[in-house]
Amino acid sequence: MRKDAEGRHRFKIVFYGPSLCGKTTTLSWLYHKVDGLEKGKFTQLADPHGRTLFFDFAPMQATTGVVFDVYTTAGQERHKHQRKIVIQGVDGILFVVDSSSDQLQENIASFEELTTHLGEDLGTTIPLVIALNKRDVEAALPRSELIERLKLSNYPIYETVATTGIGIKRAFQSLAREILMIQLYGTKTSQNS
Amino acid sequence: MIDPRRFDSVLSKIIKSEPGIRKIILVDRTGLTIAHVSKFSYVSVDVDGIGAIASAVFMASAEQGSNLTIGGLDIVTSEFDTGKIFASACGRGILTIISDAEVNIGMIRLLMRKANEELSSILDEFLAGQPSRTFSGIDSKAPEVRTGLEKDELEAALRELEKF
Repeated sequence: MRKDAEGRHRFKIVFYGPSLCGKTTTLSWLYHKVDGLEKGKFTQLADPHGRTLFFDFAPMQATTGVVFDVYTTAGQERHKHQRKIVIQGVDGILFVVDSSSDQLQENIASFEELTTHLGEDLGTTIPLVIALNKRDVEAALPRSELIERLKLSNYPIYETVATTGIGIKRAFQSLAREILMIQLYGTKTSQNS
Repeated sequence: MIDPRRFDSVLSKIIKSEPGIRKIILVDRTGLTIAHVSKFSYVSVDVDGIGAIASAVFMASAEQGSNLTIGGLDIVTSEFDTGKIFASACGRGILTIISDAEVNIGMIRLLMRKANEELSSILDEFLAGQPSRTFSGIDSKAPEVRTGLEKDELEAALRELEKF
């Protein structure tokens, strides 16, 4: 958690996941279709084909004193250095899984990369929420298989369809809540110590 | 805790010292805009977004230099049709200057060096109380004891999220 010069608490949330899993679509839905949070400008750094080149960014204000700075990352393999930069200072991660059966290895690789970057802080001091996206595709893998193959059983999981907004708000709410709870009451580990 | 108005007074001094400077933004290395000053303009600017990009561009350029083992990054200069953007390290943050196209680049570089001397200690003190989350590890102790006001603000945000 950081504060800006106006004294507002700023929490950084990053949507992470493999290429074309729906990170930008998820943020876009949250920004354009969901009311309840006051939003700043939506910034997109994309290539001419609309693929995220560096990140998308949108600040979302919960109260006058608390702002969530929400970023997405570029999912393509060649942008791995950019991902490492965007994730600096993160307070919470929404990992977006592509439920398509042919994307399993990409999901695994992306999650492994994330784990490498954040280590044991992931899921402890940096809360992690999972969005199993594209649940509407015909070849979507069963929830249980995704959870098992990606080893996600310890994390809150939401089934989402980013193109229609299903599950998006609840996933974001869950993550934002976890971030604030840690700030107020510490991690489970620190609570028990 | 440092008074954030100290940033405004230093940045205001800088912006007045060179006619071609339009805007100055001070960001940290995670993309957070900490302070900014502008000369009057009819064009509204998304400071949060520009600050996030400035931080990311600077950090990406620094990463390039590190990967190429060509040393630390001094300054990033972007030249546009009708303006320029300069970004340089400033303690634990990044100082970004947006200027007219005709500005004296040498003067800007000099100003940025002097600003670095004046701002970096204030900025480091401002950021010192905030946990630094980098790949080198983070302080994962229980959160510091929150002041009553901080606790109220965070709890109010929690309640808002329930309604959202």
